[in-house]
Amino acid sequence: MTHCRFLLGKAGGALFTVGFVLVLNFFLFRILPGDPARAGVRDPRLTQESQVAIQARFGLDKPVINGIERVNPLRLGSFTVNPLDTQFFIYLRNLLQGDLGISYHRNRPVTELLKERLGNTVLLVGSGQILALLIGIALGAVAAWKSRTAIDYGALVGSLVAWSMPTFWLGMVLLFWGSRWLGLPIGGMITPGATFANPWDARMDVVLHMVLPVLTQTIVYVAEYVLIMRTTMLDVLSEDYILTAKAKGLSTFQILKDHALKNAALPIVTIVALNLGFTVAGAIQVEIVYSWPGLGQAIYESVVRRDYPMLQGAFLLLAVSVVFTNLLADLLYSYLDPRVRTA
Amino acid sequence: MPRLNDVTDTFLWGGATDRDADPIRRALRHNRMALFGAALLTSAVAAAALAQWIAPYDPGATLQVTVEDVYAPPSAAHWLGTDDAGRDVLTNLIYGARVSLTVGFFASFISVFIGGAIGTVAGFFGGRAERVLMRFTDVVLVIPDLPLAIVLVALTRPGLINVIVVIGIVGWTGTARLVRSQTLSVKQRKFVLRARAVGASNLRILVRHIFPLVLPLIAVNTVLVMSLAILNESTLSFLGLSDPSRTSWGQMLNSAFTRGAMSAGAWWALVPPGAGIVWVVLGCSLLGYGLERVLNPRVASHHLSSAHPTSPKSAKTKRGHPHQTSPGTEFSEAPVVLDVRGASVDFTASGCPPLHAVEDVSFRLHCGEMLGVVGESGCGKTTLMLSLLRLLPTGGRIVSGEVRLSGRNLVAMGEKEMADLRWKEMAVVFQSAMSALNPIRTVGDQIAEAILRHEPRAKKIDGRVRELLDMVGIGPGRQHQYPHQYSGGMRQRAMIAMALACRPTVLFADEPTTALDVMVQAQILDVLDRLRRDLGLAVLLVTHDLGVVAEICDSVLVMYGGVVAEYADVDALFNRPRHPYTRELLRAFPDLSRPKAELVAIPGSPPSPNALPPGCRFAPRCPDASSRCHAEQPTLHILDGRHQVRCHLVESNSGVGSAHEPFRRT
Repeated sequence: MTHCRFLLGKAGGALFTVGFVLVLNFFLFRILPGDPARAGVRDPRLTQESQVAIQARFGLDKPVINGIERVNPLRLGSFTVNPLDTQFFIYLRNLLQGDLGISYHRNRPVTELLKERLGNTVLLVGSGQILALLIGIALGAVAAWKSRTAIDYGALVGSLVAWSMPTFWLGMVLLFWGSRWLGLPIGGMITPGATFANPWDARMDVVLHMVLPVLTQTIVYVAEYVLIMRTTMLDVLSEDYILTAKAKGLSTFQILKDHALKNAALPIVTIVALNLGFTVAGAIQVEIVYSWPGLGQAIYESVVRRDYPMLQGAFLLLAVSVVFTNLLADLLYSYLDPRVRTA
Repeated sequence: MPRLNDVTDTFLWGGATDRDADPIRRALRHNRMALFGAALLTSAVAAAALAQWIAPYDPGATLQVTVEDVYAPPSAAHWLGTDDAGRDVLTNLIYGARVSLTVGFFASFISVFIGGAIGTVAGFFGGRAERVLMRFTDVVLVIPDLPLAIVLVALTRPGLINVIVVIGIVGWTGTARLVRSQTLSVKQRKFVLRARAVGASNLRILVRHIFPLVLPLIAVNTVLVMSLAILNESTLSFLGLSDPSRTSWGQMLNSAFTRGAMSAGAWWALVPPGAGIVWVVLGCSLLGYGLERVLNPRVASHHLSSAHPTSPKSAKTKRGHPHQTSPGTEFSEAPVVLDVRGASVDFTASGCPPLHAVEDVSFRLHCGEMLGVVGESGCGKTTLMLSLLRLLPTGGRIVSGEVRLSGRNLVAMGEKEMADLRWKEMAVVFQSAMSALNPIRTVGDQIAEAILRHEPRAKKIDGRVRELLDMVGIGPGRQHQYPHQYSGGMRQRAMIAMALACRPTVLFADEPTTALDVMVQAQILDVLDRLRRDLGLAVLLVTHDLGVVAEICDSVLVMYGGVVAEYADVDALFNRPRHPYTRELLRAFPDLSRPKAELVAIPGSPPSPNALPPGCRFAPRCPDASSRCHAEQPTLHILDGRHQVRCHLVESNSGVGSAHEPFRRT
């Protein structure tokens, strides 16, 4: 019963956050100087017809929301307009229909462009995360177990150093020497213009392109996870139930496996989820350095080209995915932890 | 039921080995980290401040750019080579520190200010303000900060101030959460409640009482926020979102990346700016990490610390104490199961003198006997118990004496052999069953685990677990529940059931009734008493509660400052106490048969094992102490039967203690 309430509470929180992100995303692009939403209509890259079409599509001639006519410069308006006839409502309606506008730069629907890129980012971030979690948790656990030994200090200092490196710089350094010494591809996802005899070779080509970007991410996240896991594990290993397990005659390996790792893994689930923002930041940098055609690169391109609809769409997608992954982690946690599950 | 001392047993559980034995080393080690971090930071600040004088070139002046000057490799003229525009990399590197540090400093100030304000208000005022603010913080926390910063900077005009403000306002959530929880905990401290009770205003309480305790935490947090701000600044500059008129490390990397340093093989344009970032960020994180450990010390050794000492080569009396043979066995005809002779426990840490936590303890435990170990907190009771099981934290072990369990010497035993023996022969009921049971495994599962460890081929485990739980009065339906679903008393009984899983010969119970209400205490003790009678179990009961001892123990070991003050059968101890400490303990304990008698607390507290008095350990608090007591350590005197007393007064005046009224067993 309480568990049910817990889940509903978490889901409610996530919905609330998504709502906040939607509002933020809407106003952000109207509050800031230049009102990109309006400026965009006059973007020289668009034809006269598409400018008119965009104007109609986003209701840019309509008031922003009840009571506010324009945001920047601020002009208050009437409260009595039909709420369905405001920019905010049209924005929500378009969003629900999956319409995020048209990219100025590519002249194609943003939704379409994002869809193409989302998979690539998930592939890259997913591989890096899984590798980093496995290595980081193992290394952090060993460091805690062997606390105050050379292994522990090595892992701690190594992680702090790795953590201090900007992801993009580590990426550049690995790219510089990786491409020179190991002959790894210098970027992109596939070798341009190459034709492959069979789909297997094509896949191998992608894997080769993934080596360096995944390695870059892995190093940065491993550092993060070692630091988190080490602290969590030190706490767990100081718990009384570890002493009980030892008093029972269990071997160190059994204690680590059956009592320590599982208990330490629980907080890790939540912390990893909370760190997703960090992960996203890392993905943006890695994608830029390795020209990986993902969401991060899309953000960079739209910043450089002042492609506001694309920037807005990519930001929204990233923020909403982080919120939902967080919710997933909460659900997973509540399933894993009997104290929540059976409360 | 009153206790001798409500303070928890800090002697062992408070981490005596870490806190007392090793404070300087630990502080030094953590400070070494902080010191190194501070050195990195200071040097960067110095470079930034002195850039005009130490940089080899003027950053504004473009050189006579010829083709050779573009991406020229390191040389005598340009130690770190030149960049795409022929500028000196070293000069840019030094000037770049200015931007990083300025942004880091001011942005973290903004973050900490916003986060600190929100956290303080939420933590201090609570209620609806807290709910709204923390919900808001949670919402902002999940919005990825770098994309938000990118959007914000991209939409405004890139410039130093904008970058500072944007990084500042995306990075406050962590601080808000931290400050809130710290404010909450400080708010509930006694002195704050007292200030509130005498009518101090909110503002006064905040400024006078709460800020001083929250500020150190904020300071450490600021350093860590700064490292994130510097990383974010470098990323934004790398993306071309910085003030183009100022050289920054991120910007240097941006031009290296976009203007062909990679293909030109100009590693010198690539490595130094990144190294600069690592230099400053590592400085911040080392400083923050080091300070955090000093501020908030964590017990550095844990139950599985691998640096566990092996058993000593020879377990003989080394410390010059006369070896005391155990007194005669008048308790019963039952066989001796546990025979402890002259056991001493030291805690050692490299670079520190060993800490004598327990010295020269001897006693015998017979089949079916219950021995109460009493004494104030910090007298070595729990240490003694854990040392017998060889479960002390790193550095703690029996250094001399013998511990014989059914004839085998445990002190000289190998680790593997010892592990096989634990629980099978000697099981433990720990003080708090809540923390001694693993919270995420079912109670039945944890009992079964003990059985399977020692009887890998055991059958009908489920039935046996049910039987064990039944024995302590826990219904079969509860087997598959988790500890948190049990009541406090049930958890303690489940712990007892678990202890009995392998039918041990000796049961150690460490204050098994602490923190339980009186009815439940009686229940637990009843279970213990019944089981040892039914199963012939020998029980060593560590307790604060003399009433319990009088009621169910056969013999008593009174410990003070790590030594045995008195050891006797329960009748002898309560009716003819010989050691002044025992008498003081009895006087501090209410006797229902003498309701008028005054309860007298013993002034002072037991000595810490690193500051033992030269003479008798009780002398400083003893009402009967003579000059000899202060100068010379008493030896153990054997009186009639197995009554042992460590006191000079016993030999000089055998009549001591006769003044005490007989204590009637209830």
